Amino acid sequence: MLTMTNVKKRFGEKEVVKGITLHVGKGEAFGLLGPNGAGKSTTISMICGLVPYDEGDIQVDGLSVGRSPYEIKKKIGVVPQDIALYPTLSAFDNLVFWGKMYGLKGREAKARAFEVLETVGLSERGKDRIETFSGGMKRRINIGAALLHRPELLIMDEPTVGIDPQSRHHILETVKRLNEQGMTIIYTSHYMEEVEFLCKRIAIMDHGQVIATGSTQELCKRLAGGNQLLLDVEEARPAFVEKLKQLDGIEKVIHPEPSEIHLYVKQGQDMMASIVSMAAKEAVKLRQIKLKEADLETLFLQMTGRSLRD
Amino acid sequence: MKKMVLIAQKDIAIQLKDRKAFLLLLLMPFLLTAILGFALKGVMDGDSLPATVIGVYTEDDPLAKEFVENYLQQDLTMLTVKVAANEGQLKDWVTQREVDAGIVLPNEWGEQKKPATILAVSGKESSALFTQQLMDSFAQTVWTMSNTTEMIMTNLAVAASYQDPAVQPGKIQAELLNGMKEVVERKGQYVVVSSIGEQELSSMQYYAAAMAAMFLLFNAVRGGKSLHQEQHSATLDRLRMTPTRVDFILGGKFLGTWCLAFGQFIVFMAATHYLLGVDWGESAVQTLFIGFVYSFAVSGLAILIAAFSANEKTADMAGGIMVQVLALLGGSMLPLSAFPEVMRKVALVLPNSWALNSFTSIMNGATWASLGAAALVLLAIGAASIFVGSARMRVSALSGGK
Repeated sequence: MLTMTNVKKRFGEKEVVKGITLHVGKGEAFGLLGPNGAGKSTTISMICGLVPYDEGDIQVDGLSVGRSPYEIKKKIGVVPQDIALYPTLSAFDNLVFWGKMYGLKGREAKARAFEVLETVGLSERGKDRIETFSGGMKRRINIGAALLHRPELLIMDEPTVGIDPQSRHHILETVKRLNEQGMTIIYTSHYMEEVEFLCKRIAIMDHGQVIATGSTQELCKRLAGGNQLLLDVEEARPAFVEKLKQLDGIEKVIHPEPSEIHLYVKQGQDMMASIVSMAAKEAVKLRQIKLKEADLETLFLQMTGRSLRD
Repeated sequence: MKKMVLIAQKDIAIQLKDRKAFLLLLLMPFLLTAILGFALKGVMDGDSLPATVIGVYTEDDPLAKEFVENYLQQDLTMLTVKVAANEGQLKDWVTQREVDAGIVLPNEWGEQKKPATILAVSGKESSALFTQQLMDSFAQTVWTMSNTTEMIMTNLAVAASYQDPAVQPGKIQAELLNGMKEVVERKGQYVVVSSIGEQELSSMQYYAAAMAAMFLLFNAVRGGKSLHQEQHSATLDRLRMTPTRVDFILGGKFLGTWCLAFGQFIVFMAATHYLLGVDWGESAVQTLFIGFVYSFAVSGLAILIAAFSANEKTADMAGGIMVQVLALLGGSMLPLSAFPEVMRKVALVLPNSWALNSFTSIMNGATWASLGAAALVLLAIGAASIFVGSARMRVSALSGGK
C-alpha cells in the first residue's frame, strides 16, 4: 500500500529526513514511533502531499505522490494531531463539509456523515457545535472526518493526545475494527500500549532515520538484557548480590532497596531455577520472584537513549 | 470551482454564526452613519453657509421690527430666527446655547440714538460676527437712503422757494421714492449663487457612503484573519490534504470574503435607505455595481494581508491600522475637500477613496461612463492583491512556512 524509497527532505541547511525506506502492506496496521523531532510529522506530511520531498520516491497503491498527488489524496484519510475542525459549526455540518471536500455529493455526504457519527459513537450529538464537545469527543469527530470518503490508507498522527481513558478506549476499538475491515493504518503515538495493541509491525525513527523495523516481538528479541527479574527478599546480603552478578546471562544488577534486587537478563525464565537454588544456598529468604518481559518502552529507550515522551 | 463555492459557503456559515463579527460588520457602520449624519447635519446640509439660529429681542422700534420681520425672517432664508419675549429670555437662550447669537434692538435704534447689542455665544464668535455684518449691511442701506432723501428734499425745498416752475418737489419726491424702492427690491438679482461641479450632499448621504467605504475594508482584515485561523487550527492543512488544489482553497477563501463584503454592503445600503432615509442616488444598479467591484478589491486585500502577516494577531493589528489610515486618507472620516492638494493626490491610490467618490457621484446622478475608471481601478487593485498575495503564499508554502 505504501512504499517509501530513500526519501530525503531538507529545510534550509538542515536535513530532517535522511533517506527513509519503508514498506507498509495492504490491510496492515503499522506503527511509527519516534521522539519529538525525529522526523515523523515531516514523513507523514510528505506521504499526504503537504510537503514535497527532495529525493527518493513515495508511492501509495502504486502511484507516486510527486506525480499524482490528487489521485493519492482520494485514497488517504489523515487524522491530524490537532483538532482540525470548525468549532462554531455542528459535528454533522463539519462532517458533511469534509465529505464534500473529498468529492462526495450532497446526499451521499449527508448519509456518510450519519454513518461516521455512528462509527465514532456520537450520533446523539450530531447537531451540537464542536465547541461544546469534550476533548475526547472532538478527537472522535476529528477521526470521523478522515473516514468519510472510505480511505484505503488511514494515517493517524497521535490521535489520542490529551483525552480521557474512555474516549481513548473507544478510539482504539474503532481503529482496530477499521483495520479488521481491511483498512491500512499508519499510527503514530507516544503511548506504547496503543501501538502494541493496534500494530503488528512498527518502525522506530530517530534523527530523521528509521533505526529499526519489525514486529514488536522481533524488535524486543534484539534487546540485550531487555527482560527483568524482580526479586523480593527478606535481606539482600552483599555476598548474595555479588554472586548473582557472576551468574551467566545476567547483564546488570540493581539493588534499589534493601529488600529489592532487579536483574537484567536475556532469558528470564531459564534463570529462575538457578536464582532460587542460589538463594537457598546463601540462606537468603526469597519472598517473590517476578519476570517482566521486554517491551517497546524498554526497546525505545535502549535504541534512542530517550524516553518516547521526551 | 465547486470546491471554491463549498469553502465560501462554509466561511459564510461560520461568519453568520459569529455574533460579535455580525455586530462589527453591520451594526457599527449603521450606528456611525446615524451618529455622524445627525451630528454634522448643521455643518453640511443645504447651502454652503452654516445653518445659523439667531435670537432677537426688540423693544418698540419700527425699524427694528422692519429688520426682523422683513429682512431676517423673509429675505435670509438660511437663518432661523427666534424672537424672545424679553431680554432675559434672550440671554438665557444664549447662555444655554439654544441660539448661535443674540441681538437686542432697543427703542430709538432706528433713529441712531441707541446702538444694538449682539450677544455672542462662547465658541461661536463667527456667528456673532456674521450677525454684526448683517445688521451693518441693513442699517447702512436704510440710513443711506434716509439721509440721501432728506438731503435732496431739503435742497428741493430751497429751489422751490425761487418759484421755478420746472421744480416740482412733490413729483420729484414721488419719483425718488419709487426709484429707491425699485433698487431695494432688486437687490437679490445682483448676485446669483451658482455651484460648479456636484451639488452638495447631505451629511447623512456623505457619511453613509463614507462608512460603507470604511467598514467594507474590515472585510479585508476579517478575510486575512480567517486564513490564519484556518492555519492555526490546522484546518488549512486538512484542506490541503483533500484532493483540492491550493489555488482553489485560496479562491474559496477569496470568494467567501467577497460574498460577505458584498452582502454587508447590500444590507447596509438597504438599512440606511429605509431606516435613515439616505438617498443613494437614482440608480441603485450603479451603486450595487460599485459595491460589487469594491468588495472584489477588498477581498483581494484580504489575501494580501494574510500573505504578509505572520499570524492572526499581526493580521488583526496591521489590518486595523491599515483600515484607520485608509479611512482617514480616503475621506471616510473627513471629506476630502477639507484636505490639502497633496493628500487628495494620495487618495487617488486608495480603493476606499475611489469607492467613496463613486458612491457620492452616483448620488449626484453620475453616468455609467464616469464610473468606468473607478471600476477599473478597483478591479485592478483586487487582481494585483490576489496575484501578489497568492505568489507570496506559494513561495512561503514551498519553503515550509505555510
